[in-house]
Amino acid sequence: MSSIVFLREQYGTHVSAMAAALDAGDVELFGSTLDELVRLREKTLFSDLRRLTVDLQGALERFRLDSRLVDLAEKEVPDARHRLDHVLKLTDEAAHKTMDLVDQSCPLAERTSKGAAELNVLWKQFRSREIAVQDFRGMLEKMDLFLDAAQADTDAVRRNLSEVLMTQGYQDISGQIIRGVMKLVGELEVALGELVKLSSIDTSRKKVDEEPARGFGPVVPGINHGVTVGDQQDVDSLLSGLGL
Amino acid sequence: MKFLVVDDFSTMRRIIKNLLHDLGYSNVTEADDGNTALPLLQQGSFDFLITDWNMPGMPGLELLKAVRADTRLKQMPVLMLTAESKREQIVEAAQAGVNGYVIKPFTAVTLKEKIDKILEARPK
Repeated sequence: MSSIVFLREQYGTHVSAMAAALDAGDVELFGSTLDELVRLREKTLFSDLRRLTVDLQGALERFRLDSRLVDLAEKEVPDARHRLDHVLKLTDEAAHKTMDLVDQSCPLAERTSKGAAELNVLWKQFRSREIAVQDFRGMLEKMDLFLDAAQADTDAVRRNLSEVLMTQGYQDISGQIIRGVMKLVGELEVALGELVKLSSIDTSRKKVDEEPARGFGPVVPGINHGVTVGDQQDVDSLLSGLGL
Repeated sequence: MKFLVVDDFSTMRRIIKNLLHDLGYSNVTEADDGNTALPLLQQGSFDFLITDWNMPGMPGLELLKAVRADTRLKQMPVLMLTAESKREQIVEAAQAGVNGYVIKPFTAVTLKEKIDKILEARPK
């Protein structure tokens, strides 16, 4: 129904009656018809207001079901917790491994230092020609043992230190996982901002598309990453299949 | 042999640099993403590029494509050293012209093997 037709139906009779009352000079009839017209107009306004309220309620319902929010709350936030748990595990393992290696290395360094200190005393006596023949023989025996032990011990310490350095690689993996969670927190912030606004509900908002060129980050156990390779051997056989 | 190691984590760059040193390669320069690496590559006389994939600025795949698109750099051996392990990504890197692909966490032996293999295959 066009609006002019609606207006004619709704108010036509009253307007005609008011025009006739004016022509006839009937002030009383004009006044009472005008009062009725105003009441009618108010009634229409109230019904419009009711409809707006219903619309608003519907919009609020739709907002609650906004797919992005549901996705965030039901899947991505628990996933983020899982990712951060994995970071905890990685850092814990790396810290323990580093401490184990330090624990293994310290006694070796101490043994070398102690052996050098003992020999130093004898060596100084020898250099100042104050050493007895018996002590000199003892020094040579100690020297033989010390040189062998020091070589083995310092080699072991060097290997442990290399291992400690390699263990720090956890920082790279965990840093990448944390960055992913930070991105999610940013998205949550935006979604909650929308909840605060409430007035305009943007249902067109979709999940931000992944950008494969940027990378997906490290594989986290228990989270579906699609088809991934298990280890370096898988990578090698995949690449050799591609002629590389 | 001059290496450029590109990774956003300084710890990982240090690990790679240390391993390269153990392998006898002491001339190593570092960059933290593709945006800083590319000008270095264009200015310097690098012989080998080792790059991560997932980096905040220009990611490794983009850096690889930029290197292959540059007439002076396109022959540069590129080893991808990354935690990215989707099959489609490895295929994509291969199609973009990567010479080797090592997934993190990796071992010193794997790194050595891949570098040796790439250098052996390089046209003399």
